[in-house]
Amino acid sequence: MKLRAKAYTKMIFQLVRRLHTSPVCRAAESSLLAKLRKKTGYTIANCKKALEMHNNDSDKAEAWLNEQAQAMGWAKATKLAGRTALQGLVAVKFDKGHGALVELNCETDFVAKNDKFHKMMEDATLAAFKFAHTHLQAKGPITKMELDSEQLGNLQAEGGKKLSETLALFIGTVGENAVLRRAECWKANQNEVKITAYTHPAPATPGDYSAGKYGALLAYKQPNDLQDFGRQLCQHIVGCAPVKIGDKEKDKPAKNSDDETCLIFQEYLLDPSYTVEEVMEQNKLEIIDYVRFSCGEAVESNMPGVEKQPLDTVQTLQ
Amino acid sequence: MTGRLIIRSLYTNFTQHFALNNNTVCKNRILVSVFNVNFSTKPKSGFVEKKHCNVGTIGHVDHGKTTLTAAITKVLANDGLAQYVSYDEIDKAPEEKARGITINAAHVGYSSKLRTYAHTDCPGHADYIRNMISGASQMDAAVLVVAANDGPMPQTREHLLLAKQVGIQHILVFINKADLVDDELKELVEIEMRELLTDFGYDGNTVPIICGSALKALNGDESEYGAPSIRKLLDTMDSYIPPIVRDLTSPFLMPIDNAFTVPGRGTVVVGTIKRGIMKKNDDADLLGFGYNIKTTLSDIQIFKKSVSEALAGDNVGVLLRGMKIKSVETGMLLSAAKSLQMSNHYKAKIYFLTRSEGGRKKPIFSKYSQQMYSGTWNIACRIDLDPSQHMMMPGDHGEVYLTLLEDMVMTSGQPFTIRENNVTVATGIVTDTLKSIDVPKGKLGKVVMNYEV
Repeated sequence: MKLRAKAYTKMIFQLVRRLHTSPVCRAAESSLLAKLRKKTGYTIANCKKALEMHNNDSDKAEAWLNEQAQAMGWAKATKLAGRTALQGLVAVKFDKGHGALVELNCETDFVAKNDKFHKMMEDATLAAFKFAHTHLQAKGPITKMELDSEQLGNLQAEGGKKLSETLALFIGTVGENAVLRRAECWKANQNEVKITAYTHPAPATPGDYSAGKYGALLAYKQPNDLQDFGRQLCQHIVGCAPVKIGDKEKDKPAKNSDDETCLIFQEYLLDPSYTVEEVMEQNKLEIIDYVRFSCGEAVESNMPGVEKQPLDTVQTLQ
Repeated sequence: MTGRLIIRSLYTNFTQHFALNNNTVCKNRILVSVFNVNFSTKPKSGFVEKKHCNVGTIGHVDHGKTTLTAAITKVLANDGLAQYVSYDEIDKAPEEKARGITINAAHVGYSSKLRTYAHTDCPGHADYIRNMISGASQMDAAVLVVAANDGPMPQTREHLLLAKQVGIQHILVFINKADLVDDELKELVEIEMRELLTDFGYDGNTVPIICGSALKALNGDESEYGAPSIRKLLDTMDSYIPPIVRDLTSPFLMPIDNAFTVPGRGTVVVGTIKRGIMKKNDDADLLGFGYNIKTTLSDIQIFKKSVSEALAGDNVGVLLRGMKIKSVETGMLLSAAKSLQMSNHYKAKIYFLTRSEGGRKKPIFSKYSQQMYSGTWNIACRIDLDPSQHMMMPGDHGEVYLTLLEDMVMTSGQPFTIRENNVTVATGIVTDTLKSIDVPKGKLGKVVMNYEV
C-alpha cells in the first residue's frame, strides 16, 4: 500500500513536472514516437531518428524505416557474424514425395521461442521445400540435396526475397546473431517410395509442417494395404539417434542394446520387445534412407550417400 | 536414540562452558549453533529468519546484464561490501554441476547495507529452468535489464514469461545506457516496460524502474548515471524485495526424521518444524504411506526441556498420545489436524538428465515407472507426460503427472529425484496436488489416467 501510494505520487509528480517543463508539442511527439514504435517494432533510437528526418511525418518515417531496415539488418548481421549461435530450431515440411529438413540457429533460447523466429523458420523451411519440388535431377530411388549455410541463404522465400535478406532483417529486429545452418531437401523418384518426417517436441495434431529441437526425414517403401509405420519409425530415429541403417550381413549387433548404433538392431522405441528389423519384416517395410538433425550439434561429416553439389548446376523451373 | 540425545545435550552444555578450541567442536559448530538457538527460542511474531536474498538478471544479450553485475560488485567493493568480480570472470563462468545437472550460470555474492545477495546470471531459458528445478538457487526477485537506446526487444516477452514460469514475484527494471539518450526516450522505454509488465500480470505501475549506465559505474564515474545509479538500484532492491519471513501463521508441519519409544510414556517422534507453531495438547494428524492417524501432542520437548510451544525451525521431540511405534515410519509428516490432504497424484516440473550427465539414453514415454526419492523417504512412482507430448528426450524439461503407489503428503515446491538402477535420471519439483487416483491391486501400470483434473 505504501509502495503504491509512493508510485502514484511519483506519477503525479512526473505529470506535473512535464506540464511545467515541456511544451505540449513535446508530449505529442512522444506519443507519435510511441505509436511508430508500436507499429514497426524498430529500436527506439531508430524510430526517433526517422521522425526527426521527416519532420514528424509518421508515414514517411515508417517508409524510410522499412527502406533502411534491410541495410541496418545487414550491418547488424555483419557485426554479430562471429558470435556462436547454437540454440534454435529444426523444422520439417513434407508431402508424399518430397521433404525438407532445415536447421536455423540463434544465440539464446529466448529468441528461439519468439514468434518472429518461428516465422523465419517457417519461411526457410517452405523455401527449402519448394526447392525440393523444383529440383529436377533424378537419380536412384530418391534424390537428396544437402544445402549448407550459403546455399540455403541463396534460396528464394515467399515474395521473391532471398532467405539471407530475410535473415538479416530478422537479426536487425532481435539484435542477436542467427544462422541458417543447413538443410536437407529430398525428392522421391518412384511412386512406391514415401517420405515422412518427425520433429521433437511433436505438435499435438500431426501436420506436414512442424518444428522442434530434433528432426528427421525418412524415405521408405511399404505396401499400401498395411498400417503406415513411417511416422512411428521416424519417431524412433529421432528418439534413438542411430548412426546408420546397418547391414544384416556386415554389421553385428552391439553387446549392450543401449549402445546400439545400427538402426536395424535397435530395440523398437514404441515396443522394446521387438527390434526395428523385426518390425520392418512384419510390415514389409523397406528403409531407403534417413537423416536426423539435432539442434546445435556440430555439423558432422556428410551422411553416406549424399553428394554435395553446387547450387548452380541444379536445374530449377524458374 | 535417547542416548544420542543425552550426549548431544551434554555436548551443548559442555561447549557453552568451554571455549571452542578443538577441532571436533569446529566441525559441529553449525549443529551447536542450531542447538543454542533452540535453547533461546521465544515466540516472536514476524521474526526475520535471515537477511539473505536471491536475485537474478535477465535481459537481452547485448543490453548489459554482465556489465551491470560487474558494476554492482565494483561499486560495492569500493564501499567494502563485496569483492570485485570482473566482466570476464562472470562471462566465462564455468559450467557448474548442481545435483549432477550441468548449468551455465554465474553466481556472484555481495551484500548491501541491509542484506546479503546471491546473484545469478544465466545465458538461456533452459539454464534458468534447470537452476530452479535442481534447486541450485531459487530466485526471489529479478532485475530486468533493458537498454535505453533499443527499448524492449521482441524476446523481452520471453524473458518475462520465464520470470513467470520460475515463480519470480518481484521484478525491478534497470534501464541501462541511459546516458546515450535523452529524457524523452527514457520515458518511452519506461512506459513500454510498464505496459509489458502489466501484460504479464506484474503490477506495472509500481514496479521500480531505475535509469543508469552500468558501463559508467564500472569505470568509476560518479555522475548521475554512474555509480550513484547502481547504489540507487541496490537501495531499491533492499526496500522493494520483502525479506523472507519464517512462516509462523500456517498450520504446523513437521517431517519425521526419527521415532522411538520412551518406556512408560509412549512414542516420541523427532524432526524439525517446517512451518507454523506447535502447541502442547494440539490435535494432529500423522500422515504418509497411505495412513492418516489422528493423535494429540501430549508433550513437546526441545532438548530434554519440556516447552509449551515450538516454532518453525525448531528441532523438537514430540510425544504422541496413543501412538504405537509400529505405525510410525520415517518420512511421515506430523501436521495440524485436518490441515493437509494426502494424495498419490501430483503435477510436477521435471528435468531428465542427459546421457553425459549420467541420465538415460532413450526417450521417456508415459507409464514410465521408477523409484522416487524425496526428503527422507522413497516410493514407487509412475510418470505420465502431458497428453500433448509423445515423448521426452533426455535433456528435456517439462510438466508431468506423478502417480505414487501410496498416498503421501507433498507440498508445492518440494523437490524429488527419480532413480533407475541406482542412477539418478531425473529431478523435479512438485507444482500441484491433484485428486487421488485409484491404483488397481497396487499395480502402477494399470492406473487409468484422468488428465482433466
